[in-house]
Amino acid sequence: MEGRLSKIQIALNEEELRHIEEIFGEYLSESEAKDIVLLNKSGELLAKSGDITSDVAQNISALAAGVFSATNELARLLGEKEFTITFHQGQETNIHISLITQNVLLAMIFDNRLPIGAIRFWAKKVGNFTRPVIEEAEKRALTQTQKIMNEDVNKDIEDLF
Amino acid sequence: MSTINFARKEISFKIVYYGPAMSGKTTNLKQIYSGLEDKVKGDFTSIATETERTLFFDFLPLELGSVKGFTIRLSLYTVPGQYIYKLTRKSVLRSTDGIVFVADSQMEKREENIESFKDMVENLIDFGEDPENIPIVLQYNKRDLNNILTVEELERDLNPNKKYQYFEAIATNGINVVETLKVITKLVVQKV
Repeated sequence: MEGRLSKIQIALNEEELRHIEEIFGEYLSESEAKDIVLLNKSGELLAKSGDITSDVAQNISALAAGVFSATNELARLLGEKEFTITFHQGQETNIHISLITQNVLLAMIFDNRLPIGAIRFWAKKVGNFTRPVIEEAEKRALTQTQKIMNEDVNKDIEDLF
Repeated sequence: MSTINFARKEISFKIVYYGPAMSGKTTNLKQIYSGLEDKVKGDFTSIATETERTLFFDFLPLELGSVKGFTIRLSLYTVPGQYIYKLTRKSVLRSTDGIVFVADSQMEKREENIESFKDMVENLIDFGEDPENIPIVLQYNKRDLNNILTVEELERDLNPNKKYQYFEAIATNGINVVETLKVITKLVVQKV
């Protein structure tokens, strides 16, 4: 199919990823969170911190983005533009999902020791530090005009299956 | 929307299997899951009702290998086809890079196919997407059943301008399931 380039949401480079991992590493211990997962609205995992494996983080990303997207259909039904925070509280574990830029979500997982107010405080803080890095990567994605796959990929993709 | 991770040399794409209720979207994902090697696929997640009808979505992550130095990651989703889940369906379609539209070839499903395709286009427009610009592959499923529409009839209903590539499939037997995935993968990868 002809047409313009696919819309790229975010293009993270090495420095940005390292920066995000540093922020997450620092606040993981300070906030006593169990895991921090950064994802986009498509449900793709961008970065993670904590003991969580990549496979689990990937599934959390898909489900968190799904929950977030469904919640926003709910918001619109209620006449709200969007709900920017979703929080789930369990017996042992809590998860706080917040929108930190137009496309990127931050999921922080805590055990049951912290009160909700503290969870919100830390999520906001981590979000505030992460936001500028993501915004930079989003800005770059907008100006990504050069095709990455500029050669014929048919054969390569045949070989993948 | 695709995500490029230059640090890890990875590109991620979201592909949604759309279509009317019971057309075989989940069956496509299950066949892909059972046919691929373990190292390529992640966990298959299904949010379904007790009777195994999709309630929210099915999700299957794949890490296929490398193209031009970038690891290609695909996230495959299905939407719930039943009418009552209209808004859930819409929410799953958000930020997709490509769509496989799974049509049910049975004659009595004709209207449902047309309605579902229309619903998909409307949702894309609602998200500010240009339906002309999103890679779409059609899969005419259940070709083994009796009393089915001809390919010409399906084409007239869903692909009158012959814009999209189509496959005749029997998803329950895996026929043309991987071929459909291959073509949508080519289309989305070529766009970055």
